[in-house]
Amino acid sequence: MAHAIWSGAINFGLVTIPVKLFTAVKTDDLSFNLLHKKDDGRIKYDRVCSVDGKPVPWDEIVKGYEYEKGQYVLLTDEDFAKVNPEATQSVDIVEFVELDKISPMFFDKPYYLEPTKQGRHAYALLREALAESNRVAIARVVIRTKEYIAAVKPIDGALVLELMHWANEIVASETLELPKSEELPEKEMQMARMLIETMSVDEFEPEKFTNKYRDELMTMIEARAAGKELPKAKKAPARSKVVNLMDVLAQSLEESKKRRTAASAGNGKPAAAKRRKKTAA
Amino acid sequence: MSAKERSSVSIGGLTLSLSNLEKVLWPRDGYTKGDLIGYYRSVAEPAVAHLKGRPLTLQRYPNGIDAQSFFEKQMPKGMPEWIERITVPTPGGSRSHVTFPLCNDEPSLVYFANLAAIVLHVWTSGVLALDEPDFVLFDLDPGEKCTLQTLARVALQVRDCLNEIGLKPLVKSTGGYGVHVVVPLAAGYSYETAKVFAEIVARQAAAELGELASLQRTIAKRPQTAVYIDYVQVGLGKTIVAPYSVRARDGAPVSTPLHWAEIEAFGRRRSGMAPADEFAKLTIRTTPARLAREGDLWGPKSWKKQRLEGPSAKANRLWREEG
Repeated sequence: MAHAIWSGAINFGLVTIPVKLFTAVKTDDLSFNLLHKKDDGRIKYDRVCSVDGKPVPWDEIVKGYEYEKGQYVLLTDEDFAKVNPEATQSVDIVEFVELDKISPMFFDKPYYLEPTKQGRHAYALLREALAESNRVAIARVVIRTKEYIAAVKPIDGALVLELMHWANEIVASETLELPKSEELPEKEMQMARMLIETMSVDEFEPEKFTNKYRDELMTMIEARAAGKELPKAKKAPARSKVVNLMDVLAQSLEESKKRRTAASAGNGKPAAAKRRKKTAA
Repeated sequence: MSAKERSSVSIGGLTLSLSNLEKVLWPRDGYTKGDLIGYYRSVAEPAVAHLKGRPLTLQRYPNGIDAQSFFEKQMPKGMPEWIERITVPTPGGSRSHVTFPLCNDEPSLVYFANLAAIVLHVWTSGVLALDEPDFVLFDLDPGEKCTLQTLARVALQVRDCLNEIGLKPLVKSTGGYGVHVVVPLAAGYSYETAKVFAEIVARQAAAELGELASLQRTIAKRPQTAVYIDYVQVGLGKTIVAPYSVRARDGAPVSTPLHWAEIEAFGRRRSGMAPADEFAKLTIRTTPARLAREGDLWGPKSWKKQRLEGPSAKANRLWREEG
């Protein structure tokens, strides 16, 4: 795995779980440089003062907050340092809540948490207890010098730290003009329901959805880089080969047979089942 | 709560406290929660035999069949310690593991009935091998205007196809509109195998039946007079209404194992009767007597675990589409 972007600790009551933070989501946008058309020169930006029209070096630059049109309050690095939270590098769990109780609107960006060697046991405890209670932890998190609110959730065996928006960042839907949930004609509702029914799938399969725009751009870039022109018109997608079900069945039976042989060679117990013994009262 | 509505019952060395026995769950029939518990006790032996060791989802109707029901997809907190349970990993789910209750004995069954769990949905595999289905399933689901006769003819065609390649299926009413046809499987077959096999049989049967049957998953595209042969209801984590489970419909019908001779008799009916009207005769009132008379038609004597290698080879010989 890539290197950790942060290491710190989850604080949970008297328990401290040392953890590392890893990126869980990579954005996959293509980035481009701006070039001068005639000589491929990179375009540079100058920081120019709007009053005297001259470039300004970094040490003469301060930050200002425009509290009124044209009126600024100036803030220096020391000012920021005064209000910065202590760089504690910590995930301080404040409370636990059922996941359904949090509007999905609040979730912003997920990160993986991985325990260090000393933290493995406590990490597993927290993960299992969260999964069992169907709750997530709400925590205050300091990453570098910024404070965030975040949820800690068990997902597929990992604890995931999901940064959340602050309440004041969520725009209330009341600002929109929305139709009231008035009495709708039953017939139309039935049609709508049927439409949903016919387009329903059992599982969400994100692999089905690909970023065509990006893929096509990348194909074009690769072709250019290899000195080739792009194949002209888009070909219709190749028809998938018609697979004979009988062949699939024969192959599947063969695999089942292998599984059986493997199972009887091992202890024959399925790995999936953890069973609790009966303790009659 | 009055004292009258609470009572204790002693089963298998355990004392269970039952509540609200007078609560009416079927308002048009007047059947109460006490009736539901009484029914499940009277069919406990065969019912538990089919529920045993399979992850169970309870469908509860605390306020009767007209009110909101809910699915208990994981073991609720506070279930007594003596109810057995199994924890299974949930690949891709938000939780890494889910715990399901098991119904391994009569006290558990009574406990669930006391929760107004009218409908009992079980996995098609058991705890000893959760990834191996115990049977191949054909869920025959008649369209809105399909008659009992058509449903019977489709079920018989599925049976005949299975017989043709050397398999002996069993049949039961779902308690709703349709029937379940199953082929009990020997150990060691994957869900994948069962599914492909079911698809081959379903396609063959549908080809023989023409407009009487449909394999179309989209409801709107099926003819309303046809039977949908659903062969995709078998999969890891998918459930089926258990044999002898009650349904939340007027009359309190029960999912009941049937003789093939009964299906044949339905096939001779000309009345244009809707399937649900026939299956509505098998209820919590009539099933205990039927069981006493007929025994469990899905019991160990008829539940013959079958292998698929020979039948598959035979299907390949007989049904393979050339060209």
